[in-house]
Amino acid sequence: MIQVTLETREGWQVAVVAGRADAEAADDLESALRTAIDQHPKVAADFRSLDYISSAGLRAVLQAARAARLRGGEFAVCALSDPVRKVFTMSGMHHVLRIYGELPC
Amino acid sequence: MNAPRRLWHNTHLVLDGNLKELERLTGEAARFCRQHGLGGEVEFDLTLALEELFTNTLRHGGCAGVPRAAEVHLTMLPDGVQLEYADRGTPFAPPSAPAPDLAAPPEERPIGGLGVHLIRQIMRDFEYHRSGGWNRTRMRRPIPAGEPKV
Repeated sequence: MIQVTLETREGWQVAVVAGRADAEAADDLESALRTAIDQHPKVAADFRSLDYISSAGLRAVLQAARAARLRGGEFAVCALSDPVRKVFTMSGMHHVLRIYGELPC
Repeated sequence: MNAPRRLWHNTHLVLDGNLKELERLTGEAARFCRQHGLGGEVEFDLTLALEELFTNTLRHGGCAGVPRAAEVHLTMLPDGVQLEYADRGTPFAPPSAPAPDLAAPPEERPIGGLGVHLIRQIMRDFEYHRSGGWNRTRMRRPIPAGEPKV
């Protein structure tokens, strides 16, 4: 189960993601992030309320990052909890994504 | 006669080849961890390993729509949690799958390899064999002795 709400902060479109980014929720997550990316040149995914992520969730985030790059926009992920950060690190996502402790805005 | 208490302390789950079973899988892992006093980190890792195994069964094993496609056994060991996973899919040995190229740009990464890679990062002592049309894997999520069971 995943919920994405959009806010505007300091010139960034912030996608606040809550819940679990598992295989069932991955399509919803990707769709929501890509909608934000289609509408705004600077999108930050706020993951402080993301409790869980699997490879399916990671792929959704990667696809969003790719969409942003193709559009010449910026995309970043922020406020990862320790368990979620561990999954990001294990999968090497920190090589291909901008990961902030707090929001870049 | 009373049934042996330890029957209630293991988890045995049979899953249909449907992504909606993921919720049941998550719930059973949570229940097992509660029963054994295991913390959030262990539960996260077990749930993640189980999800990756199961989604590979559906996506790469050809088990989408197959009833009773996979079986899960969770057993408490002195040094961790033993996870046994079996599916009726095409022959596939997760520990032997190729590792993904983590430095490649996202769009160049192969599909499917990432799940196996994650499993290999968090679990140990992999065993695999195929028998009677089933892929059978066993692995362990280590919990070091004397440390809090998180």
